Amino acid sequence: MNHHLLVPLGLALLTGFVVPWLVARARWAQQVPRLALGVWAACGTGFAAASALLPAQLVLSSADSHRLADMMFGLRLPTLDQLLHLDGRERFALCLSLLVLSAPTAAFVRRLARARRMRSRHAGVLRLVGRYDPALRATVLDDERPAVYCLPGRSRRVVVSSGAVHALTPAQLAAALAHERAHIAGRHHLLVAAAESFAAVFPHLPLARHGGSAVPLLLEMAADDRALRRCTRDALATALYALASGRAPRSAFAAGGPSAALRMRRILTPYSAGHPVLYGVLTITAAGLAMAPLIIACCSFPGNT
Amino acid sequence: MRVRRLGELEAEIMDRLWAWQRPATVREIVDDINRGRRVAYTTVMTVADILHRKGWLRREKSGRAWLYEPVRGREEYTAGLMRDALGDSQDRPAALLRFVEVISDEDMAALDAALRAARGDQDPQALRDARSEDPAAPGGRTGGHA
Repeated sequence: MNHHLLVPLGLALLTGFVVPWLVARARWAQQVPRLALGVWAACGTGFAAASALLPAQLVLSSADSHRLADMMFGLRLPTLDQLLHLDGRERFALCLSLLVLSAPTAAFVRRLARARRMRSRHAGVLRLVGRYDPALRATVLDDERPAVYCLPGRSRRVVVSSGAVHALTPAQLAAALAHERAHIAGRHHLLVAAAESFAAVFPHLPLARHGGSAVPLLLEMAADDRALRRCTRDALATALYALASGRAPRSAFAAGGPSAALRMRRILTPYSAGHPVLYGVLTITAAGLAMAPLIIACCSFPGNT
Repeated sequence: MRVRRLGELEAEIMDRLWAWQRPATVREIVDDINRGRRVAYTTVMTVADILHRKGWLRREKSGRAWLYEPVRGREEYTAGLMRDALGDSQDRPAALLRFVEVISDEDMAALDAALRAARGDQDPQALRDARSEDPAAPGGRTGGHA
């Protein structure tokens, strides 16, 4: 037990509690969804790294833990040779770290595998039941109810129901399709799975709780932004409205939340006051600066035995 | 490439059997496909057998040939896909990404108001409502716009 514990502890506190709390309340997040998504992803990796280092620093001797801290600040990965010549205590520390990391990793992989199985089953039926429309570059499914969705990943494709084709004008349909293609191109399903698995492994952590609900919505907004490069605001907003209103049992699933309303407002009123990017960068910098005292403390007292 | 073509052939066979709505022999299917393009009898026979083993087709002997028939209608399969697409089952992983999730009636009213406001259908008060509405408390809105 030594003062090098402070760094991962501080990092865990910052990425797991403080920054998520700030970003979940920030207004800039929804104006620059991609920056916000970057912050969430960084928090996730930072927290995972911190929680892996914490037990390692607990069992390592003071000199060793200082070397580990040094390595971390220099972002130097240990060489294979170093990894092969660890002594007993170091090996124990490494095993502990890997053990801690394995929980979220396993949850993530399991979730991806389950989603992929479901998608390939869905795609298998779709292949025989749907028909591909080369003009739309999408698979059309014969059903009255309007729906637009995509299968990301290996069996990627965009699917529209014939109900949606009838309900939307060509411009609106193109807007909805552009939104779905943005999901596929951005590999958004990976981030959704990561957020879901974090929320499953650390149910009470603010990072997982806020991130689990914020990330899917931010991904929708990022896809909206990308779609808007190719369509008008009116077309995208109207498509959103038309598809949302065509849904049958609404009140039963109120849990779907205000996401559609938020997105619509954002699409229709694009520019609000302030400098969202500036606020975002400021939040991140402030969080980074908060780590500085810990790091300095850690570097200035090497052998505190 | 071969796999892809077999997949297309699967769809062609199912299309015909669903359209005819009666059991048919491989010969009938081959003859019908051959109006558009050449396809070997044995290929269609193989693919029909694959579809049978996958559970898409059932068959019974009629003389020396098999009569094939879809196990379920196209609509039934479509309904299953739409269940996935509309997100009716909640406890699934995020396998599909939907254009819009299921939303509540309050949000629907808010969407409606926002859209009308943006198009200038309504007075400026409604415009301000739509823009400044707090998403956490949608209950404060009057539903009169819808």
